[in-house]
Amino acid sequence: MARYGMALDYKNCINCKACEVACKEENGVLLGADKHRIWVGANNPDGVWPNLDIASAAFMPSQCQHCEEAPCEEVCPTHATYYDENGVVRVDSDKCILCSYCMNACPYDARYVDDRTVTVDKCTFCSDTRLARGETTTACQNTCPTKVRTFGDLDDPESEISILLKTRDHFSLKAHLGTKPKLFYLT
Amino acid sequence: MAEATVKKEGIVAQVKEFITTIPVNKIGIKDIFNYPKTPVNNLIALLIVLFLAMFAIGVGNYLIHGHHAYGVTRQHPWGLLIAVYIFFVVSSTGLCIVGSLGDVFGFKDYEMISKRAIFGSIVTIMAGFAVIAFEIGHPITMLIYNVLTPGLRSAIWWMGTLYGLYLTFMIIEFVFLLKHDMKSAKIFGLAGLLIGLAAHSNLGGVFGFLNTRLISNGVFYPTYFILTAFITGIYLAFIMMGFRYKLNFPENAKKMLVNLAKIQGLLLAILMFFETWKMLTGVYGGMPGRADVVEHILTTPPFWVEVIAGMLIPFIIIISSKGNNIKGLFWGSFIGMVGIFFMRYDLVHDTQLKPLQMMKITEYQLPPKWVEYFPSASEIMISLGGLGLCLLLYYVGTKLFNLDADEAH
Ligand code: SF4
Ligand code: SF4
Repeated sequence: MARYGMALDYKNCINCKACEVACKEENGVLLGADKHRIWVGANNPDGVWPNLDIASAAFMPSQCQHCEEAPCEEVCPTHATYYDENGVVRVDSDKCILCSYCMNACPYDARYVDDRTVTVDKCTFCSDTRLARGETTTACQNTCPTKVRTFGDLDDPESEISILLKTRDHFSLKAHLGTKPKLFYLT
Repeated sequence: MAEATVKKEGIVAQVKEFITTIPVNKIGIKDIFNYPKTPVNNLIALLIVLFLAMFAIGVGNYLIHGHHAYGVTRQHPWGLLIAVYIFFVVSSTGLCIVGSLGDVFGFKDYEMISKRAIFGSIVTIMAGFAVIAFEIGHPITMLIYNVLTPGLRSAIWWMGTLYGLYLTFMIIEFVFLLKHDMKSAKIFGLAGLLIGLAAHSNLGGVFGFLNTRLISNGVFYPTYFILTAFITGIYLAFIMMGFRYKLNFPENAKKMLVNLAKIQGLLLAILMFFETWKMLTGVYGGMPGRADVVEHILTTPPFWVEVIAGMLIPFIIIISSKGNNIKGLFWGSFIGMVGIFFMRYDLVHDTQLKPLQMMKITEYQLPPKWVEYFPSASEIMISLGGLGLCLLLYYVGTKLFNLDADEAH
């Protein structure tokens, strides 16, 4: 019983996209499903030349936020979307009817249709793959050369992620919606 | 034990008798093709055949390619078929309201349309279900897990479940109407109406609950759906009565239609008032994600079709004749229905207009301003097929049942 989350030291991201590749490899994301499960976005600098805010031009890795109050879970008519015992938001493909309501309700555009199961899929924090094998890291974290990603148990006060969140300032995306994301951006 | 068996047999016999005594005209295939061969009728017959053929092609294409046969995308997962489904169920709810005026609320003037309107509400919702079955990826799974693991916080669950119940009640009400059992028809009619209104406002809730879609979020859609359902019901009442009497309305039909036209005038005025305020509150303050979307909507042609065809033209016809130009409003109702279709399309499309995740871009790439969508040929064919199915069922119904009010009861 854990409560998994991920901290992203996003200013260290060099846009090498190794995480996207590792995720595709680990979770068998189909070819061509670009920026579907996880993605690295580029923020163009804010402001107007010559007053450009260079610091805002960071790379922003993102994926499903594993919201604690997940809109996708709330709207699902058949409980295909559920919280597993580790607080990870998962989709049971046997129950998914592909009504796409969750895709419309997710504020982060984190869901996509998997063409093999013809149901909705998204980042699972490698629950079906690495965590199921007993590993304690996700593929994206494991491969990141600049240590942007820290995955771990938010309920364990000694975990690396808990210590990071205690000692560093951080924010979440669209926090005003009350979704309580478990992806934390370190500043 | 023996007593129980006898009792059971008694019930079976009763049910059997109940069903066999439903007044149905005996018709054969030949009767279906037996209609006055006027050019208009021939054209409608041809269109029905054409639309049904399109339905088959569209569905075939969908069965082979899945959602890839549609224009829907990850950012725009709801497309034309959702809009058409809403179009049909709004029509159904509207006809249910119009039908209820006479047989549930007891307004004598409207009794002459009750049976026809209730039958119309059954065929329109069936057409809606036929269309949505090819948009929902796994309709059978839905039937199973809606029951096994109901998502009670989901508006789609409530909408689907309530519409299922609604259809059942409408059919029972219709059977009682056919049997002249007005008392039972009234009870089932009232239950059907209440469930229908609940189902329909839940459909509005499907959009209203989307906290992240500022343009749709809130109380507007659940209430607006009921208002526009009533409006749609009256348009359809004009169309059905116009065809029934070939525009030579008898006195009682005239009286009813003039009354309906007056009600329609009021409803359209309320709708325009609502829309104006929705747009005004939308742009006010320039809130990103809402104001920009409203401003964009105001520049798109489908929105103006919705306003001009769905509201203004019929409203002008009504106002200029104080509701007496019922022939004019018969034609106006066709225009109105085109507007209503665009209303449904707009509400589905506008909800998804604003891209949610602006960071999925690479360097030096400008973020997309709006999510684009255009229906594919398969989607258009299935939608027209739904219309064909609706017309066919209605036509067969006019042959099978006496949809006019019974002389005396
Ligand atoms: S980010 Fe989207 S898909 Fe992930 S839990 Fe939140 S609402 Fe659901
Ligand atoms: S698409 Fe599947 S997971 Fe999403 S809301 Fe519908 S049934 Fe639930």
